Amino acid sequence: MSELEKQEAPSPLTASANSADGKYVYCIIRLDRSRDFGEIGIGGGARVYTINYNDLAAVVSDTPIVIYDPTRENVLAHEFVNETVMREFTLIPMSFGTVFRSEKDVSVLLKSTYQAFTDVLEKMQDKIEFGLKILWDRDRVVASIERDNDEIRRLKDEITRNAASSTYFARMQLGRLVEAAMEEAGNRYVLHVHDQLKDVSVASRSNKVIGDRMILNAAFLVDRKDEKSFDEKVKEISLKFEELLTFKYTGPWPPYNFVNIKLKLEKAT
Amino acid sequence: MGLLTNILLAPFLGPIYGTKWTLDKVDRVVREQLTDDTPIKEDLMALHLRLEMGEIDDAEYVRREAEIMDRLREVREWRERFGMSTAGGPVRVAGEDDEE
Repeated sequence: MSELEKQEAPSPLTASANSADGKYVYCIIRLDRSRDFGEIGIGGGARVYTINYNDLAAVVSDTPIVIYDPTRENVLAHEFVNETVMREFTLIPMSFGTVFRSEKDVSVLLKSTYQAFTDVLEKMQDKIEFGLKILWDRDRVVASIERDNDEIRRLKDEITRNAASSTYFARMQLGRLVEAAMEEAGNRYVLHVHDQLKDVSVASRSNKVIGDRMILNAAFLVDRKDEKSFDEKVKEISLKFEELLTFKYTGPWPPYNFVNIKLKLEKAT
Repeated sequence: MGLLTNILLAPFLGPIYGTKWTLDKVDRVVREQLTDDTPIKEDLMALHLRLEMGEIDDAEYVRREAEIMDRLREVREWRERFGMSTAGGPVRVAGEDDEE
């Protein structure tokens, strides 16, 4: 209980700016009338509604002019709104923490980026994103390499047999061989996964891996109609490699990794 | 002439140039370290992964997250101090004035 209380409230930029006139923007959708999504917004359940311009709408909630820390609580609130909206709409997600000073500033955004938003919404129509992280169990992968790679097995046997006399060089050599074989195995797994998912996805993007156990940190763009096939395929691959690899599979998400509109935004003073 | 002077006076000027260059370099490196939030964001992602993998519990996550948020805020302050762009805070469409 006290742990949560300890989380600091977002820091006001200036005391005078701390009114609730700001608009936190979650995403852009195509909708030509206003809509209320309920009290699910960031900062403790603010009402989420739309600001419309022609047939576009920004999904927003009122907020004081603050900088939102990317705490899990805040990020989850942002994601939850997008998930809710996503059930009915194709959406362009905004970056976490995007705050405009007024409703008018949001309208200006919709107006000035109208064409780009419209084009991307068209392209993203009925597309969803899945995240796939693959981690391996190093010890088990090493064991499987030692089992399958003749050269490594022979060298290792030799070292174990002549434990006392085996040279530093031989051990170094073994280490290097194992390292190289690991890298090759990692690449092979990643290629295999991409290959298997190619037919059930529209596009994929590999992000930087996190930590030393991860070999794949990718996002896949999937057509809604292929969601089930994609799902089945991921399960099939993860089952095939369950001894060696751990699959972290998340989604469906809005196409966070596949929308790249460079908004020309500047700090509002 | 300039070069020759430098060479001739090297014993006297050398160390001064050297020091200045080093300080500039140190300044730059320090500035980069103070204003780069990439490693902090990576730490946050790694922490999140550890929670997902069940390696740490919720309480520990919250504790470490608070530390990471402190570091992020610090970087943000330094970036502001150096006049660099920062994520978060109110934005508006660039170049649009408040007319109409």
